[in-house]
Amino acid sequence: MAFYEQHIHPKPTTFLSKYIFSFDHKVIGKQFLWYGILFLFVGGLMALMIRWTLAFPGQPFPVIGSYLFPETGGAVPPDTYAMLFTMHGTIMIFYAITPILIGAFGNFCIPLMLGARDMAFPLLNMLSFHLAVISGLLLMGSLFTPLGAAAGGWTSYPTLSTLIGSPGVGQTLWSLAIFVLGVSSTMGAVNYITTIITLRAPGMGYFDMPLTVWGLGLTAVLNAIFLPVLGAGVLLLIFDRVFGTTFFLAGAAATTGTGDPVLFQHVFWIFGHPEVYILILPAWGIVSDLLSFFSRKPAFGAKATALAMTSITILSTLVYGHHMFTTQMSPLLTQTFMTLTMTISIPSAIFFTNWLGTLWKGSIRFHSPMLFSLGVVFVFGLGGLTGLYLGTVTTDLYLHDTYFVVGHFHYTMAASVLLGGFAATYFWMPKMFGTLMNEFWAKIHFWITMLGLNGVFFGMMLVGYGGMHRRIYNPFIYEFTQKLIPINTFTTWSAIVMGFAQIIFVVNFVHAVFFKKQKAGDNPWEVGTLEWTIPSPAPHYNFKEIPVVKCGPHELGNPNVSGKDFQYQTEELA
Amino acid sequence: MATMVVDKNFERERMTSSIAMVMTLISFSMLFATLMLGYVAYRFTSVVWPPLGMQRASLEIPTLSTLIILMSSLSYYMSESSFLQNKLKAFKNYYFVTLLLGTSFMVSQMFLWQNLKLTGIFVDSTVFGSIIYAFTWVHAGHMVVGLLALLFLIPSLRGKRNEGKTQIWLKSVGQFWHFLGIVWVIMYFSIFIF
Repeated sequence: MAFYEQHIHPKPTTFLSKYIFSFDHKVIGKQFLWYGILFLFVGGLMALMIRWTLAFPGQPFPVIGSYLFPETGGAVPPDTYAMLFTMHGTIMIFYAITPILIGAFGNFCIPLMLGARDMAFPLLNMLSFHLAVISGLLLMGSLFTPLGAAAGGWTSYPTLSTLIGSPGVGQTLWSLAIFVLGVSSTMGAVNYITTIITLRAPGMGYFDMPLTVWGLGLTAVLNAIFLPVLGAGVLLLIFDRVFGTTFFLAGAAATTGTGDPVLFQHVFWIFGHPEVYILILPAWGIVSDLLSFFSRKPAFGAKATALAMTSITILSTLVYGHHMFTTQMSPLLTQTFMTLTMTISIPSAIFFTNWLGTLWKGSIRFHSPMLFSLGVVFVFGLGGLTGLYLGTVTTDLYLHDTYFVVGHFHYTMAASVLLGGFAATYFWMPKMFGTLMNEFWAKIHFWITMLGLNGVFFGMMLVGYGGMHRRIYNPFIYEFTQKLIPINTFTTWSAIVMGFAQIIFVVNFVHAVFFKKQKAGDNPWEVGTLEWTIPSPAPHYNFKEIPVVKCGPHELGNPNVSGKDFQYQTEELA
Repeated sequence: MATMVVDKNFERERMTSSIAMVMTLISFSMLFATLMLGYVAYRFTSVVWPPLGMQRASLEIPTLSTLIILMSSLSYYMSESSFLQNKLKAFKNYYFVTLLLGTSFMVSQMFLWQNLKLTGIFVDSTVFGSIIYAFTWVHAGHMVVGLLALLFLIPSLRGKRNEGKTQIWLKSVGQFWHFLGIVWVIMYFSIFIF
């Protein structure tokens, strides 16, 4: 569609204009990356505390426990436990995955891969990050309020999340933080969509865009449409808590009138089911690209992959009811939602087969981004398959609210997205910071993470199948769960191993960003998308001359090309 | 040649901002659609409406508000089309009429809330009162944003300087302003009349 050339902005010189109030999409992307990694650490620490409590109930959390919980001698108290899993979920979903995959790589990759000099609205982009910071401060601030942070689960269902269930100010701050973050993400989404429509380089049709941009663009569409739904929900929740409205209060909880607590669940999941696709779509896009780049083959059925992702985006808006099978829904509705949910497995199977087709007979280079991408293929396969049991009414009635659910969504959202995020970080490191991370330690990091992660999340599914419920401080007070203590201990040790493996990443990352002298080349991975045609790290104006696109993003292993096994998107198809 | 460049610039800015505005309005519509979904759920699961023997809100002030906001939409439209026809005086006059009507809409909302209290409808008196107050609050909050956006147009009142940009601004702010009018009319019919 319409293309225009953006002006080259003067290079920012002061510290503030360079790092804090920067309009540059690459700087904003890096800001989001640091922001996300910081919250990943906070959320991960909370996860370890939760795991510690489940494996060793009543024992003090090592090292920092006695400082955090002096009144119990270091063991996590029950009310804090509820706070921990609530904040862990919220932080990981809204403050770690969203900023890293969508904020950081969305901002960084979209203009570079499209051949643009910046986003369509640079100021809006900057404001989006600053709102995200305000939201993060609100959320972290809630930890220091008298009754502590929100403790109603990341879904914060009423009546638990109204003043009756959580009297403290923490839940209000939580709702406010989510609302502000929603505004920030919506601003980002509007920006991404406009950029993708208007700023593609001349000659670049939608199917010439890398699949990463497809994933990020579809995510932006879902964000722009469905975040306001959650916005309305938490707004009414805030009204209930602050102004005394009775939207979500019913029965004895409401002195007068007839609110409806289940309405919040509907609103939450109308947003919430698209949200899980919001989180996973960028990772799918990135993995689809990386599998092709490192198999040295064109992506198998790239168009079909893009269309499959699009149809999943559409279907994801119609299936939210499968989160609410146990809310006395009419059987007609549950079966409808079940059927629609099962329909999603068709496009999923299409792009999954395409991934395998890409790998088939490729000359695979097992660099770290490829290892992480293969990891995504494995864990997402496992996560997706276990989803079938939860989408089916009959099995879900048994598995609902057990650790099986926790294991399932960690495989799909946490494990896939985490590995996808690592793949992206290792892959775009040269373009972001000009250096490559150490390959040896990257591979060590991958294998320990992969083993630990599967130990944690498979363990969760096992105990869930055994009947252990989620969100219980000490599930072992029941006799039937006592047999599950060894698996829980194993899960916790896996989590600890996985947690410590991230130190390898952080050291590797910090070293590569700040201390590494050896510069990476302009195109160390030998791929042909537009961002690799410019110097590393990318200059502030991106492209001196706006490139003209002549072929697709995955033209690898073409026998007609001599001297190299890939061709740039700016070269005529050989 | 110089005019060509200006035109191309104008065309791209118009395109970019209209795509962005459409996405923004979709987002805002989803927010209000969710509120309406809530209203529909409460309204149709309740045996009698308004519940628990509550009085309906009197219609005078909401009707007045509706008239005001419709007139403001009309005057905004007149203002924009005067600008496009290069009638700068009419453009200015209609702009100030719009600003005045927008402000009086907010004043009428104040009276509405006063009046609701007098007739015994409070925020916490059943979900009926909650809906009226919360929805009008959310709408009024967006009206404040709309009024601020109107104020952003003041620099462009001085005339022909940077005409293309003014035109784009007028169009985008106008879309938001008309959107708020439509939302109010839907709320008027569904909450107050139906």
